[in-house]
Amino acid sequence: MLAELINPYYLQVASFILINIILGVSIYITLSTGQLSLANAGFMGIGAYTSALLTLNFDLPIIGGILAGTLLAGVFGILIGIPTLRLQGVYLAIVTLGFGEVIRVIFVNWESMTKGAVGLSGIPHMGRELLNTLKEFGFDPKILGLQNNQFVFLAIFLILLGVTISIITFFRRQNRSRVGRAFAAIKLDEKAAESMGINITYYKVLAFAQGALVAGFAGALFAHVLAYISPADFAYHRAVEILIFAVFGGSEVIWGPVFGALFLTVMPEVLRFISEYRYMIYGLIIIIMMAVRPQGLIDVNILNWLKLKTSKRRQKHGTSSQKSM
Amino acid sequence: MLIEQLINGITLGSIYAIVALGFTLVFGVLGIINMAHGEIFMFGAFIGVVVTSTFKGPLWLAFMAAILVTAAMGYLLERFALRPLRNKQGVSHLAPLISTIGVSILLENLSHHIFGPGNHPFRASFAEISFQIGSITVYLVQIVIFIISVLLMYALSFWLGKTKAGKALRATAENLETASLLGVDVKRTITMTVIIASAMGGIAGILVGMAFNSVTPQMGLSIGLKGLAIIILGGMGNVKGAMAGGLILGLAETFVVVYGNSGYKDAIAFAAIIVILLIRPQGLFGQKISA
Repeated sequence: MLAELINPYYLQVASFILINIILGVSIYITLSTGQLSLANAGFMGIGAYTSALLTLNFDLPIIGGILAGTLLAGVFGILIGIPTLRLQGVYLAIVTLGFGEVIRVIFVNWESMTKGAVGLSGIPHMGRELLNTLKEFGFDPKILGLQNNQFVFLAIFLILLGVTISIITFFRRQNRSRVGRAFAAIKLDEKAAESMGINITYYKVLAFAQGALVAGFAGALFAHVLAYISPADFAYHRAVEILIFAVFGGSEVIWGPVFGALFLTVMPEVLRFISEYRYMIYGLIIIIMMAVRPQGLIDVNILNWLKLKTSKRRQKHGTSSQKSM
Repeated sequence: MLIEQLINGITLGSIYAIVALGFTLVFGVLGIINMAHGEIFMFGAFIGVVVTSTFKGPLWLAFMAAILVTAAMGYLLERFALRPLRNKQGVSHLAPLISTIGVSILLENLSHHIFGPGNHPFRASFAEISFQIGSITVYLVQIVIFIISVLLMYALSFWLGKTKAGKALRATAENLETASLLGVDVKRTITMTVIIASAMGGIAGILVGMAFNSVTPQMGLSIGLKGLAIIILGGMGNVKGAMAGGLILGLAETFVVVYGNSGYKDAIAFAAIIVILLIRPQGLFGQKISA
């Protein structure tokens, strides 16, 4: 019964949605200090290539590869962040865009290592490796009534779901902490924040590095879910796609980019005839959103309104359980 | 050999300079980075291909058509992507940047659908004509490109420096509100600036088509990003800086191909801007801005 419900194709799409959500969160973090960084596609590439190369060439377990990729992206985030965060607004956007482009050119040209524009294939697949390990302990997916294939994709989906929920939870909690308040203060007015005693360089680099870390993590996951990566996966279009998650969904609250990533990944899958025009629609969405609703679809007002609605409905039905957004 | 490469570098550099001028005009007046400029430039190149290859028209007609179409695109860009954001309360200063990124994606994919993704050759009737001066070979195309670029730069400098409209533009660039108090029709000046910048992009598009004999939908992105790098190199909003920056980049790229690794050619521009922004954020020729 369970077996018929699990369609590898849907699970695959769901996995990509989750990776895109993580990417959306990564740009949200830097945006929450008012910095627009377009380097996240580059950081994603660093994470993906590091993890893929380590697992391919040095037989590192996948978890080790992902950790190394994530950390290296974070280190690059700090290295790039310290000098570039002296720049503001448009300048920062262009330099980070340039950084992404330099990374891509390096991936294309460092052929002995990255196989150039062809890309790396045969990267250890997260789900299949897990299945093989479990099989050594005498586990067979048939116990659950699943095909091997179904089990693989289900496992990936569940792992990613757990990871995504933990990331969102972490950053929601961080927003309510000292760090989150410092980010918000810097976003509102840097000078005022500085005069209140907030070390703005520290917090801006922190936000930038966190964004890089999360983007690198998403990249490493991407490599082991798709098992194939090429420099084109981390080029300008990816940077823009990540940006659109935040522009469309909104960057004031974390649910904005999450919703943006969800909606914009599902849309071309559901409306097949649209997927050919996908990027044209992306372009139109950006133009219209900027003119009509520059803060994105989901902002604080909408969240409050939703909260009010659900709490009213709850009172009507007489349930006493409290749920916070 | 060296002189030939020098000529190649100057040809490439003068095209880059014209692309960069389009960016610099818009940035000088509006303080906006027009990310769609590269795609407007690419449309200009495609109009050139359509006129010369599909309709077998003469080159001057291709120039006229490209100028008309890209000027119209400039107007639409200003009207629908930039004007709605101006004078609006609570809009982040990044909004116009993001909006023009939207336009660039739209245009790039539109050209995919209209012209197809492949590589389109650009046939100029005099492409093969070359001169021998001593041991040096110079192609007529290179001379034509260079002359057109110089004329265009000269015309722009004259227009900015000597005509009333140019003065209005400079006043607007200096301070939008003061200019409007002094009786400059700011709205018209802004629209005109975007239109002129776009038309220059269209001309540059045809020049690139002639120089490389190939036009693709992706060229807008790569040349556009380089134009962006050049205006940072030369100083944002600085017309002379854009010209010099274009020549520097053109020469640097040519010599990297000759004496170094051609694969890293496309990274030079960005490596350069990262260094420039860290050492001399106002650009090579820019004035120091007090924050």
